[in-house]
Amino acid sequence: MSKIQQVAVLFLVSQLALMSLFVGLFFNVPVAVAGGGAGACYLVARIAWFYRKWRIAARGKAVVRQRPRPAAHAEIDPSDTDALVKQMLAQGRYALLLRPQVAKGLGKEQLAEAFERLQDGMALAPDGEVVLGRLDQALEDGILEEHEIAACAGRVIKVKQFFLDRYPVTNRQFYEFVAAGGYEQMSFWDQSIWPAVLEFVDRTDCPGPRYWEEGCYPLDKEDHPVVGVCWHEANAYARWVGKRLPSDAEWVKAGSWPVPVSHDNRVQRKYPWGDMFAARCANTWHAGIGATVPVTEFADGVSVGGVHQMIGNVWEWTSSNMRGEELRGYALTSDVPAKALRGGAFDTYFENQATCHFQSADSMLARKPNIGFRCAVGVCDLVLARAVQPLRDEADQSVDNAEEIPA
Amino acid sequence: MTKNLIQPLESYRLAQYAWPVPCYICESENTFDAEFCTRCSAPMALAHQTSAQQTAPHMISVIGPSGVGKTVYLGMLVDMLSRMSNDMQLLARGAFSITLQQTTIAALSRCRFPEKTSNEPDRWNWVHCQIRRARQKQPSELIIPDLAGEALLEEIDHPGSYRVIRAVLKKSSGAMILVDAAKLQEGRRDHDFFTMKLISYLNELDELPKRKKCARPLALVMTKADRVEQCLDDPQQFAMTHATGLWQQCQERFRSSRFFAATVAGACAWRESHSEGRCQIPLRVEPHGIVEPFLWILEQLKIKPPNGRK
Repeated sequence: MSKIQQVAVLFLVSQLALMSLFVGLFFNVPVAVAGGGAGACYLVARIAWFYRKWRIAARGKAVVRQRPRPAAHAEIDPSDTDALVKQMLAQGRYALLLRPQVAKGLGKEQLAEAFERLQDGMALAPDGEVVLGRLDQALEDGILEEHEIAACAGRVIKVKQFFLDRYPVTNRQFYEFVAAGGYEQMSFWDQSIWPAVLEFVDRTDCPGPRYWEEGCYPLDKEDHPVVGVCWHEANAYARWVGKRLPSDAEWVKAGSWPVPVSHDNRVQRKYPWGDMFAARCANTWHAGIGATVPVTEFADGVSVGGVHQMIGNVWEWTSSNMRGEELRGYALTSDVPAKALRGGAFDTYFENQATCHFQSADSMLARKPNIGFRCAVGVCDLVLARAVQPLRDEADQSVDNAEEIPA
Repeated sequence: MTKNLIQPLESYRLAQYAWPVPCYICESENTFDAEFCTRCSAPMALAHQTSAQQTAPHMISVIGPSGVGKTVYLGMLVDMLSRMSNDMQLLARGAFSITLQQTTIAALSRCRFPEKTSNEPDRWNWVHCQIRRARQKQPSELIIPDLAGEALLEEIDHPGSYRVIRAVLKKSSGAMILVDAAKLQEGRRDHDFFTMKLISYLNELDELPKRKKCARPLALVMTKADRVEQCLDDPQQFAMTHATGLWQQCQERFRSSRFFAATVAGACAWRESHSEGRCQIPLRVEPHGIVEPFLWILEQLKIKPPNGRK
């Protein structure tokens, strides 16, 4: 029954009830009085039911519209270091606390807490060499010329040890940056891009990723990777949390986990989980989902170092430029400046384009629904010795205690 | 060393030679062993396959200017439909129907676009397929040719130069016209004009009385939409803004027409090679909006199973 029909029925019942009540009382007819009374009761019950339904709907809408509360919701006294550190930890800016310039002003416990957060959020990739641009056999079909094949022999790059985010940056994490006024703090943005920052708005013209509304992500996608961000937005976020975007070589190293088998040769995985594609390990076109999923899903695709979703779900921005000749054996040019992308996304059609070796690229200003990012930080950029010391002391203490118990 | 071979008496072949086989496209008579129709150059395999069926397959034509992406669109469509398993599935009939899919997918997976379709009709790819849908007990049959854009232009400007094109378009139950969205946004009207010519040509073929609209459904697919965000978001609005003439023609001349946005490559770059020169290559393949126009056409046609049962 439509709303108009419901109102019409209510109106009729109320009229009938009033009439019968009036007639019953005036002519002293008990049946009419009873009928009128019943009608009036029905009317009251119906109105109460409508009111209850309206309250539930209003409450539901209120829940849907409720925006998440950012960690930086209250003003903090800049001299209150403890509160400031807590806020930064809640915002996920632990790497910034471990930077030498900041760390020297912090206590041991604060540093230890930041280090713990670092270990939870990031995985360590050790020093070593990685080969970029080796010809993928799946792409070679006999049409390449000799010099092109020779150019695709690969390029060995040395990578220093670094930490890489275990998961892509989520909507919730990026929301902290937006809520903290990241789009207004120009120090996080390259000077060359300042005029364009005003154009980095969401669907409602508020600063934020392209597919957000009113400066907030869709609430059912809190733990999905943030998408609709260009390379500059990703870079600004990374600076804000005290990290940076991984280089192309770093990304490949963390995913393919090269193992040296001789002085000039190494084994590199095609996928983080091995050399065979497995649909259960990555959200690509094969998974049939056709959209992003929470970053914790497809856990089977975890890399040796403990990094999740390197393949599938969203392409990831890297700090490197799009490479042509060195990687593919031929020169590659783009109409606009482009940055390298890695990993494949939920809509990547071919398995051989969602591997650790495959490099794609896009315009630095592209804000697409299938491009996100994760951050990295070099071990040499952090003060780890001081941060680890309290943990070591604690561990030594616990060992001592363990020895003491039997005694 | 000599080898004794037993030659069977193939007198029945003589009988087949005597019986002419009509081309499925232009209906002109051909000999039994002809590979291509002598009049229109359509493959005779279509005639042999369809002769065994109770009802004639539907034809859908995918047309558009040269370089708009007809081969990529069609190859991708066939591959996606053949990989779908739930609601709809496409099964190729005959080895020749797989060639288009094979060449397109092989090229795209290597980050290349397939080679330009030749202007010679006997080198065109044809897809004859069976469509199985979850709601239908009986599968339906479809024929989709991959026509060369330059040949289309030639036929429109000089009718009769490509008989096969005229025959195909006349026989098509529905049409998909591909337009380059990036060129529309740039304000380059050449594609717009070509498409309007195609629409007029289709109308002429129908030989309708004045003020009567064409009944065959027309899907206007704006390709390369990855470069035009506005087109991907709202294709109807984009067409109204950037292809006003085309939009009005469709409204006035066709009973059912609809604009779609499609993209295959996520991003493109230019490849500089000593052997091939400068050519555009896809940096990754992310198909979007490929199947939707096709499903819409099927819905409009309300294709029934071959024996007429629902």
